[in-house]
Amino acid sequence: MNMVNKSYPENRLENAPDHSLVPPCQDACPLHMDIREYIGLVSQGRIMEALQVIRTGNPFPSICAYVCTRPCEDACRRSQVDKPIAIRSLKRFAVEFGGDRMVRAEAETTHEEKVAIVGSGPAGLACAYYLKKSGYPATILEAHSDLGGMLRVGIPQYRLPREVLDIEVQRLTRMGVEIRTNTRVVSLDLLFELGYKAIFVTIGAHQSLRMGIEGEESPGVIDGATFLREVNLGLKPSLGRKVAVVGGGNVAIDAARTATRLGVKKVSILYRRTRAEMPADPKEVEQALEEGIDIKYLVTPTEIKSENKRLNVTCVKMKLGEPDESGRQRPVPVKGSEFREEFDTLIAAIGQAPQTPDDFGVRMGRGSTIQVDPSTLTTNRVGVFAGGDAVTGPATVTEALAAGRLAALRIDDYLQHRYPLPVKEAKEKLSGDLLPETIEMIRKIERVEPPSLASEVRAKDFETIELVYGWEQAINEARRCLRCGVGVEILFQDKCATCLTCLRVCPYHVPYLDASGTIRIPADQCQACGICVAECPAKAIVLRKPFDRRQVTEELGHTIKSAVESKTKPLIIGFCCQYGLFGTGTLARLWRSAKAGVSIVPVLCVAKVEAAHILSAFETGAEGVFIAGCGEQCARENTTYWVQQRVAKVRKVLEPIGLEPERLQVFALGTTAEDPAEELDKFVEQISALRLASVIKGEVES
Amino acid sequence: MIVAEQKPLEEIRRMIAPYGRVLILGCGTCMTVCDAGGEREVSFLHNALQLAQARSGDVAHTFSEHTLKRQCDPEFLELLTEKTADVDVILSLGCGIGVQAIAERLPDMPVLPGVNTSFMGMTKESGVWDERCAACGDCRLEDTAGICPITRCTKGILNGPCAGVKNGKCEANKDMDCAWILIYQRLERLQQLDKMRRYYPPRNYRTIPRPRRIMSKVDTVVGEGDG
Ligand SMILES: Cc1cc2nc3c(=O)[nH]c(=O)nc-3n(C[C@H](O)[C@H](O)[C@H](O)COP(=O)(O)OP(=O)(O)OC[C@H]3O[C@@H](n4cnc5c(N)ncnc54)[C@H](O)[C@@H]3O)c2cc1C
Ligand code: SF4
Ligand code: SF4
Ligand code: SF4
Ligand code: SF4
Repeated sequence: MNMVNKSYPENRLENAPDHSLVPPCQDACPLHMDIREYIGLVSQGRIMEALQVIRTGNPFPSICAYVCTRPCEDACRRSQVDKPIAIRSLKRFAVEFGGDRMVRAEAETTHEEKVAIVGSGPAGLACAYYLKKSGYPATILEAHSDLGGMLRVGIPQYRLPREVLDIEVQRLTRMGVEIRTNTRVVSLDLLFELGYKAIFVTIGAHQSLRMGIEGEESPGVIDGATFLREVNLGLKPSLGRKVAVVGGGNVAIDAARTATRLGVKKVSILYRRTRAEMPADPKEVEQALEEGIDIKYLVTPTEIKSENKRLNVTCVKMKLGEPDESGRQRPVPVKGSEFREEFDTLIAAIGQAPQTPDDFGVRMGRGSTIQVDPSTLTTNRVGVFAGGDAVTGPATVTEALAAGRLAALRIDDYLQHRYPLPVKEAKEKLSGDLLPETIEMIRKIERVEPPSLASEVRAKDFETIELVYGWEQAINEARRCLRCGVGVEILFQDKCATCLTCLRVCPYHVPYLDASGTIRIPADQCQACGICVAECPAKAIVLRKPFDRRQVTEELGHTIKSAVESKTKPLIIGFCCQYGLFGTGTLARLWRSAKAGVSIVPVLCVAKVEAAHILSAFETGAEGVFIAGCGEQCARENTTYWVQQRVAKVRKVLEPIGLEPERLQVFALGTTAEDPAEELDKFVEQISALRLASVIKGEVES
Repeated sequence: MIVAEQKPLEEIRRMIAPYGRVLILGCGTCMTVCDAGGEREVSFLHNALQLAQARSGDVAHTFSEHTLKRQCDPEFLELLTEKTADVDVILSLGCGIGVQAIAERLPDMPVLPGVNTSFMGMTKESGVWDERCAACGDCRLEDTAGICPITRCTKGILNGPCAGVKNGKCEANKDMDCAWILIYQRLERLQQLDKMRRYYPPRNYRTIPRPRRIMSKVDTVVGEGDG
């Protein structure tokens, strides 16, 4: 058999560097996770690899998968089209199905300098993880009996199963991080005396703010953080039958929902603004309402009286007035609108502040937070670093993790006497909104929410509410990602003949002629469908990522190589889309069950298969070639149309070569009534027959 | 722009048959725009020829490929020196001009035309090109409202329309607009119908000597074509 395969011309475009841009989701993530990449891998069903990407960017992905406040989803550009990608739920899927529990973290101690970490919240845990990974002996000192900070004593179990936290803590112990619980640190000098060379102070913000009203000290009044801590540490505070929670943040919602789960019949939240201003996650608010919690907006307590073991609370109605410095409208009391209501317990959840022991000797700033240099996390004391809620005031788990990671880097720099290098973003950010004409052409695909427990069931106990996607759900959700910033570019403008083909073929109207008559492909609009790459007659357009550029050719190369190695020639080569059903759904099995002689070249959308690729497939000696794509189910526009154009072009040259045009087929979901599995079977039969015929013909001729 | 069509594969294979090492040479200007011989087509043809050879098992050619920005200028062709060192023939996907420029520049190198140069025209839509100009050397578009009767009228008549027009279409091709009706409509729009009422004497093509040459400089260039 003649295995001549054209070695691809050395193409300077194919060797060009990575010009992909940082998408807004990644930019918004405090940990700067490569979201686009792992969502892409999930959409191809490559869950293990997705988990790997996730783990490189996040020390405790399983925790984030439950409780991250999802700033990435707020920034996701898909929300300009319909709804953002369900990034957190997809991470949860990857973590659970990718086997995160099995992942073993190992670390050797290669340095002598001991580091003390005061506090074991997410910031402390992350710092310990990364310090240990870089070889430092790290010790965590924690005042409570268990590690985790607010993850342990704040966030309720129905949102974060403690088993998840325990697994992460065990991993740290196995890595050799020294852990001292029930150890409240009161002086840092002592730690230095004990031989620690650097200290990371990460004591969180646990001191509840006071409402500043009369009767606040009455028995029956408790603050939110304390209440949640007691419940989380296994106490069952008696709350009575009627409970008021004051506040509108996540702590207030958590306190109210926790009270419900403790059996309180009537729980009301008193919030002084309206729902629109509520800082709590809207989804949590919704779930609270579903669970029967009553939220009274524009109401604030002004006085509490303790009467007959009950609380007689005076409240006043509010209205929204002038905007304050935060831009939110300031609530002002409505004169004469006072009313009284009786409660058994009042939980005040209006915010917390750090409580730093004076003997730490660190300089404090606004709201009792510790002052640091934001890029080095250094305090006024040499060798003392600080981060997390203790520095920012109450923030989020992911921000705390990011602070812990940064601290580990900076402590390493400090101990190695290195000048701290700024963490610089090597790539440019993608900025700019999608244009209306682009949006109009993007297929609207509904966001798939993961299943969750029904409200009747879940309000009874602390069972985890959010469940995990099934495979098909996850893949369909992941396919919605617009892959912002990995589109195409004209790398060398001099190659462009300004033929305007790209401008004409782009389904999203992305390329345009600028005033000087030069064709431009704006990165912030390109949907990375790849159509113009294959259609550009000058081959001037390339995908921004080198991997994407080479993908089809490389995969084809693998197929050819394995055919050569096994000394068989493939009967049929199929270019199969790896997204959606062909890649991972029911049909994937069909390809993978490896029908005798059928070799699959996985591609990331059939629109990237060029006419020359199809010819190369025939050049391997294959008797038939097919291209299988998602057809109507494709997340991009016109992909099948362009594949058909290229197929027609190839068929035209097949004939004179003596290959029947039937040897090349396109299978697209939703375009034929036929079952694609049956279609493929037929195709295999047809090709076998053609081969037989040509063998006979060859024998007759000789 | 010059518009061409790639020759059928059989014809190309027949042409290259006597040669071993074939350089497929694209053109990055007109031939790229009309999809006949840009870098992508060069690469596609390369694959197709290789496949044809693999299937038929006949003489082994070796192929290489390259695309110049333009083939019709000697300076660009100079860039070829390296590429042609071990090549027996150039299969040019430039237009007829490109092929001749190569022939002129590389006296010892056989060159083959890979495309049929068809006309001068414009893109109607992606993948569709229409002829527009016959390069007659004596442009009359001023009188015909910017619509060329020589190219667009099947008969090329200068005083149309003829009697064969039906519903604005040409008798030779019912799907084609009659150029003279188009001219009339546009002159009417421009309020220049008086131009329709003039008589244009037939042109004497024989008086145009070929090949033509244009000189924008005062110095004369010695050689053929200055007549
Ligand atoms: C009820 C509640 C719900 C929340 N929900 C979410 C959520 O869904 N998503 C999200 O992103 N964020 C949430 N947060 C915020 C998040 O938990 C915090 O931002 C995060 O835990 C801060 O991490 P940290 O490491 O800075 O501090 P913490 O987690 O507060 O940990 C500090 C640790 O230091 C210990 N410590 C304090 N003083 C000393 C001392 N002197 N010596 C030794 N140890 C000491 C404390 O005991 C504690 O364990 C929530 C917070 C609360 C209170
Ligand atoms: S569409 Fe995808 S890449 Fe773009 S912001 Fe959303 S998740 Fe990130
Ligand atoms: S398709 Fe290619 S050659 Fe044509 S204008 Fe676009 S980039 Fe330029
Ligand atoms: S890759 Fe697709 S979306 Fe981007 S410019 Fe090309 S055709 Fe348009
Ligand atoms: S060689 Fe022909 S096709 Fe190429 S630029 Fe010159 S005129 Fe155009």
